[in-house]
Amino acid sequence: MRPGVALRLAWRQARGGRRSLGAVFACVALGVGALVAVGTLGAGLEATLGREAKALLGGDLELRAARPLPPEAETAVDRFRREGARVVGVRELVGMARGEGAGGSVLVELKAPEAGYPLYGRLATTPAAPLASLLEGDGAVVQQELLDRLGVAPGDRIRLGEVTLTVRGVVEAEPDRTASLVSLGPRVFLAPDALTRSGLVTFGSRVRHRVLIGLPPGVAAGETRAALARALVDPGVRVATYDEAQPGLRRFFVQLTTYLGLVGLASLLVGGIGVAASVSAFVARQVPAIAALKALGAETPTLVAVFVIQTQAVALAASLVGAALGVAVQPLLAAALAGLVPFALEPQVQPATLARAVAMGLTVTLLCTWAPLAAVRAVPPWLILRRDVDPDARAAGGWLPLVPVGLGIAALVLWQAGSLKTAGIFLGASLAALLGLLALARGLVLVARRLPRARGLAWRHGLAALQRPGGHASRVVVALGVAVMLLVTIALLQSVLGRQIDHEQQRGAPSFFFLDVQPDQREPFARLVERAAGAPPALTPVVRARLAALGGERLTREMIDRRRARGEEGWWYFTREYVLTWAEELPAGNVLVRGRWWTAAEAAAGARVSVEEVAARHLGLDVGSRATFDVQGVPIEAEVTSIRRVDWQSLTTNFFVIFSPGALAGAPATWVATARVPAAAEPALQNAVVAAFPNVTAIPVRDVLERVGVVLGEIAVAVRLVALFTLGTGLVVLAGALAATRSQRLYESVVLRTLGATRGVVARGFAVEYGLLGAAAGLGGGALATALAWIVVRWVLDAPWSFDPAPLVLGVAVTIGLALMVGFLVTFRLLGQKPLPVLRRE
Amino acid sequence: MMIRVRDLVMRLPSGGRFVTILDGVSLAVTAGEVVAVTGPSGSGKSTLLGLIAGLDTPSAGSITVDGVEVTGLGETELARFRRRTIGFVFQSYHLIPTLTAAENVAVPLELAGTPEPLTAARRRLAEVGLAERGHHYPAQLSGGEQQRVAIARAVALAPPLLLADEPTGNLDSATGTQIIDLLLALNRERGSTLLLVTHDVALAGRAGRAIALRDGRVVNGHHA
Repeated sequence: MRPGVALRLAWRQARGGRRSLGAVFACVALGVGALVAVGTLGAGLEATLGREAKALLGGDLELRAARPLPPEAETAVDRFRREGARVVGVRELVGMARGEGAGGSVLVELKAPEAGYPLYGRLATTPAAPLASLLEGDGAVVQQELLDRLGVAPGDRIRLGEVTLTVRGVVEAEPDRTASLVSLGPRVFLAPDALTRSGLVTFGSRVRHRVLIGLPPGVAAGETRAALARALVDPGVRVATYDEAQPGLRRFFVQLTTYLGLVGLASLLVGGIGVAASVSAFVARQVPAIAALKALGAETPTLVAVFVIQTQAVALAASLVGAALGVAVQPLLAAALAGLVPFALEPQVQPATLARAVAMGLTVTLLCTWAPLAAVRAVPPWLILRRDVDPDARAAGGWLPLVPVGLGIAALVLWQAGSLKTAGIFLGASLAALLGLLALARGLVLVARRLPRARGLAWRHGLAALQRPGGHASRVVVALGVAVMLLVTIALLQSVLGRQIDHEQQRGAPSFFFLDVQPDQREPFARLVERAAGAPPALTPVVRARLAALGGERLTREMIDRRRARGEEGWWYFTREYVLTWAEELPAGNVLVRGRWWTAAEAAAGARVSVEEVAARHLGLDVGSRATFDVQGVPIEAEVTSIRRVDWQSLTTNFFVIFSPGALAGAPATWVATARVPAAAEPALQNAVVAAFPNVTAIPVRDVLERVGVVLGEIAVAVRLVALFTLGTGLVVLAGALAATRSQRLYESVVLRTLGATRGVVARGFAVEYGLLGAAAGLGGGALATALAWIVVRWVLDAPWSFDPAPLVLGVAVTIGLALMVGFLVTFRLLGQKPLPVLRRE
Repeated sequence: MMIRVRDLVMRLPSGGRFVTILDGVSLAVTAGEVVAVTGPSGSGKSTLLGLIAGLDTPSAGSITVDGVEVTGLGETELARFRRRTIGFVFQSYHLIPTLTAAENVAVPLELAGTPEPLTAARRRLAEVGLAERGHHYPAQLSGGEQQRVAIARAVALAPPLLLADEPTGNLDSATGTQIIDLLLALNRERGSTLLLVTHDVALAGRAGRAIALRDGRVVNGHHA
């Protein structure tokens, strides 16, 4: 083989294949574009999370607990302070804010930082002033949302529990407000002493105590953490360094970009179908030239090299354009996710991201041209003498040559997915989708063949055209079907989740959860709610506690750290704050899976607990085990007598741990209540409760569900944006397939017109064909989407399945419309051709 | 008068300049005549036939077929005109590969709205001796068989004018003779006009008259 010859030939031969190579270009560019958009977003998230790590945590080091820090922690922190560290204590909790007078009330997230906050990052306020000065003398700095909802302005006063605060400013950006994706309400900053005087911090209230530490230069956070961990045996105090900040948030973004990346890879693989088809058509057209070149003495490897050079050159150009496209689209993706990201996302155009996507574009092109290029080998030189011989005898090798292609694609998927499990699921789903859609396309062609040939000419021609040699129906149905599958799956999941979080759909779901009802408020609270809602609230006693020991073995930090180091997911169950209750009867919606519920006599005999199934598994508890809970410093040991399954989807008060009655007697209990009122009566009830019991927190379920809905909506928009690349690629495959059959189509339409058919008749035949292709892709994709969504809902989200036909119908209709539109864009010019020149050419 | 062609000129772009294919052709064919158009390849025979069928628009001149000015027809009227007036047989058959033989024959019948087009198509196939091959695809038929299907298709609606462009050009001589016999027989039975293009002297001899073309001009117009 002589490389110079191959290069020169490659250049010359490419002139004949503009249309085929154009489709290769578009397919690769779109696929690489999707990968680059997602990769750039992921790199941006990772870089920003890294750069903002200290601001996100609030310090180099954070201590966090559900209770005031134990004395040994205070001692350790004091030592750091003496050694030059900056230390800021912050308390956070939810509460109700009211306007002065008869105004409304709003659930807010309170934050009371000591002077010095924030240690890292910048708290942006309007007016711009140090936070401490704004909070001085019962000032408050709040988010705009609160002002809007209460109808107050800066300078006005709001009430929080027992204190009245003056709004001195609006908070625009808060560096460390990232605890969860969904906030319960707008932020309110207030001074620590104001919080103390509000009366909201009593026993039973959910206060998050944080101590933020800024270390002096030269002191390593990791070593300090290790020292603290040794000093603090109590695992209830979480110690984190900035570089492990927000593990939840980081994990969420990593997963999100992984899934988005796989959707992007799907569009590149769909593009691969187009690449294979276009290169195949290109090679088929070049068969006479290949035969001639072989007859003239060109060696087969040289000729194969010619086509590899051509396709790789096109793929390289396409990948570069695709990379530019991806960089250009990334801001859209970032904008879609803006609500989820607590900081400004800077696009990170990293050479590594680009190189990786370009490499994927080139590799997919190489893999997908493998089989078509085998045809170059098989062209016999004698073909130059006998052009009438059907060169279709070239199909070589059957399945065997596809094995390395499959392995190559599997390797690419593994590279993109980053984990064997995710890659396996993706490959399995892709293979199932591919086989399903292929079977459907094959079925469509078979039905078209078997169908009693009847009705109009247009139908007959449309159906007959589906059987055109070259199998364009299969690849169009697969390519478009995959795109439809992705888009309809998102729509179906959104619909299922939408129903799940649609308050109106939740039968018997409460309108409110009321927290922190104190023992002495119980009766007046119940009376007030009954007056307003027409029915008494359901009141459940709760006692806040921590797990202290299992089977007599005390829980220590060392033990938890060991589990975390082993990568166990359930360590959270050991350190979390438990909300305990007691009950005489098994609560509705709970099912016993092992053991049995206590009788009154058994309950009187000693402390027993019933533990939720999943928690029991992680904690290693079963019937007969013993667990000790620390209730405000008092250890209470109980025997596990039953394991329960809980329907967490039901919007009622559910508990991990339920004690037998009497076991928690004397423990400081508060009460949680649920109440249901018509939607229109919700604000009135909330305002009445908050006015009468300022310490009680009312969580409006509808409002929280709507906030969850907004977050899910933003994720769906991002996924859909990437999936649109797949749709674009699918349409390119359709256009490419139609372009490849262009000469056949032109010929047939011309013969028909010679026989007296009008353009209208020919166009209707086209319409039947394109419409059927679209319908098959739409139906197949829709069916796969339904299966996929069902699997995700059933096995991943563990939610009840409900089927919404609307996305499916819309998916089929839109696919038919798009297929018709693209089809006619590609072929409408055929209709205007004069027959004679076409017939002469044949 | 079945066909009247006056001063027909056809120029086509080729390699950046215009090539004159027909250069002022005039001729007349009366109803029921069998006329052969002869001449070497490139003399413009097939183009003449195609223009008479309205398959392209001439650069200049006029064509009247069965009293209709072909050059003045719009797209839809042309389609109707071809369906009603003209049957066309091509050298390379031009059957639609995705349709069976019977379906190919049925196409003009369907376009004309004939009831039971497939039954009628099978009858036509029987007339050309292909009663048994109606369900075969073109690729499954021999060249002679394909041309018979094309002829059955051309005469399916019994058009008054049959145009045949080198109908035997792709066939061996024995099969070619059979095809010509068939064409002439069908033409006689129906009393239609047959204009056929050929460079086969023997075939031209079987026509009632021959018109010779050379370099786009009529070089003789004598009655045989």
